[in-house]
Amino acid sequence: MSTIMEWIDKRLPVTELIKSQATEYPTPKNLNYWWNFGSLALTVLIIMIATGLFLAMHYKPDATLAFKSVEHIMRDVNFGWLLRYMHANGATFFFIFVYIHILRGMYYGSYRAPREILWWIGIVIFFMLMGTAFMGYVLPWGQMSYWGAAVITNLMSAIPVVGSDLVTWIWGGFSVADPTLNRFFVLHFLLPLLVFGVVFVHLWALHAVHSNNPVGIDAHDDKDNLPFHPYYTIKDLYGVGVFLIFYCYFVFFAPNAFLEADNYIPANPMQTPAHIVPEWYFLPFYAILRSIDFLGSFSKLAGVVAMVLSIAILFILPFLDRSPVRSFRYRPLSKQLFWIFVANAFVLGWVGYNPPDASLFHGAIPLILIGRTSTAIYFGYFVILWLVTALDIEKPRPVPKCL
Amino acid sequence: MRLIKTFFAVCVAAAMVPVALHASSGAPTPPEQSWSHTGIFGSYDKHAAKRGAQVAVEVCMGCHSISLIKFDQLRALGLSEAEVKKLAEVQGRSKNDRMTSAMDETAAKDSFGVIPPDLSLITKARKGYEDYIYGLLTGYPSEAEMELAKKVMAKGSISEQDALEVQSALLINAHEKEHMKAKLERLVGGANFNKYFPGNFLAMPAPISAGSVQYADGTDNSLKQLSRDVVTFLAWAAEPTMEERKSLGFWVMGYLFVLTILLYAIKRRIWAKVH
Repeated sequence: MSTIMEWIDKRLPVTELIKSQATEYPTPKNLNYWWNFGSLALTVLIIMIATGLFLAMHYKPDATLAFKSVEHIMRDVNFGWLLRYMHANGATFFFIFVYIHILRGMYYGSYRAPREILWWIGIVIFFMLMGTAFMGYVLPWGQMSYWGAAVITNLMSAIPVVGSDLVTWIWGGFSVADPTLNRFFVLHFLLPLLVFGVVFVHLWALHAVHSNNPVGIDAHDDKDNLPFHPYYTIKDLYGVGVFLIFYCYFVFFAPNAFLEADNYIPANPMQTPAHIVPEWYFLPFYAILRSIDFLGSFSKLAGVVAMVLSIAILFILPFLDRSPVRSFRYRPLSKQLFWIFVANAFVLGWVGYNPPDASLFHGAIPLILIGRTSTAIYFGYFVILWLVTALDIEKPRPVPKCL
Repeated sequence: MRLIKTFFAVCVAAAMVPVALHASSGAPTPPEQSWSHTGIFGSYDKHAAKRGAQVAVEVCMGCHSISLIKFDQLRALGLSEAEVKKLAEVQGRSKNDRMTSAMDETAAKDSFGVIPPDLSLITKARKGYEDYIYGLLTGYPSEAEMELAKKVMAKGSISEQDALEVQSALLINAHEKEHMKAKLERLVGGANFNKYFPGNFLAMPAPISAGSVQYADGTDNSLKQLSRDVVTFLAWAAEPTMEERKSLGFWVMGYLFVLTILLYAIKRRIWAKVH
């Protein structure tokens, strides 16, 4: 056995790679459970690709067959219901984990030097995931699939000059129809494989600069680090166990909890649903899009720009945060801003879920006002974080010298 | 910091709890029913579903199809081959056919203005699920409620007393009297009114009433019983694999609990050297 490994290692240093990048890879010893969510997201990605592969063997990307083929999977394919419910609920957990993973990075300053590229690759992955999830939701070809696709693709028409031609090009016609479904299926199949590749670039960037940690200082020597195996392999596996319990509860006992009833109605281009809502994980961004409604004919374009910016602004976060300290654990003001940001994201989600003409207290507070305020708070986080740190308003508490 | 935490808690709570919002659409929520098949331990009431299959074939399928189910599949509910054949014949089908209505879509569109929706997934495809379908079937005005509507309309104007009475009987908002009047006018004029249908008026006339179907075993055939049975059947038709799902779920959850406890124990042991 060892002679075979020696033969291989001389030609391709597998043992060396496993040792340096996995088993003996030095990892800060003080990582808390918030650091589990990266490996959890990877676990869900693998579940999604595996179940998706088998679903694709039975699904028909054809406007006249798609809806029925999903029910064929539910009823006739052996364990087809399990594949579909794992895939549908997997999307929900994927976004929960990715959001926690991003927020963890924001709280502990994981975007700060020297981890900017690692952070940027993460944002790219997030954009790719959103595209993948959006196109995946179209595939069952239910009412919400169809009308969600119509509303979101229509946003492109706000782009000056080329907008309407672009939308026609994306649709493959003059409305969301069979060609749209067909290409969305192809892209929904392709994108996750690209995501999988980019995840490895993300890991490459991680292994170049190593993990940040809750204290936010660099790990110096062997005293600060532990070998990844067995310490973090077992901790990650325990996290996966806990995740699977929650996940399987939904898959087996409440599989439709996150799905819209309307999506069990076959797509009907002649009948608009009373209230079109995107999947829950897009709701905060949907609220930002809708809350820019005061710029007349520019509202639509401005809404789209605001929606894209709400995520793209994360790219410049490493340069906005000027604090000498990475971790918010020692930054009282930043910490408060952070929790306002998180709470505000829930408010945005709630605004996005409700009809735009809704109001609180019998019309006293129109929802659109709450939406605009929340949008301002969302972007305000980045501006105020920059001001507070650039003008040295925040006095960080002393940071420990070692982990 | 405490203030921030309170703010955070309030925001999260607000986002989680469905706050009573005042939007343009607002149909009354049908009362919650108890179903044997909902909940973690729920399984279909096979006797009710079997009776419901008869209601579905003899009544609903006059106009609606349940095309994702074949007649022969009804044997899973305890129907004998002879019973299946007999039901299939009601719609002029044989036992290996899908449960499609004998009425063709153009004829349906001519009579009702819309194609009656396929009922295969109906209990999953409406907000409120089974409760909504049950509410719809039992939510047409009773004779007494029709009399009330006629009586109020005969007076010409709606008094406060009348408005409240109409609200409690037909669930129309008493604060908007003009709105109420317009609705009562249509109702008295013979339009199909339903308490729980969003907007109240729909293409489907009251489909079942007490005695619409005679059960062979003599089970009570009141409107409530017939509605309950057919909704149970439709819930089965919407997801025949549900029982398999839940029973597999128990093994999976049991396995995962044991596995996770073991992983935690190992994690504790490995990390004991560090802490």
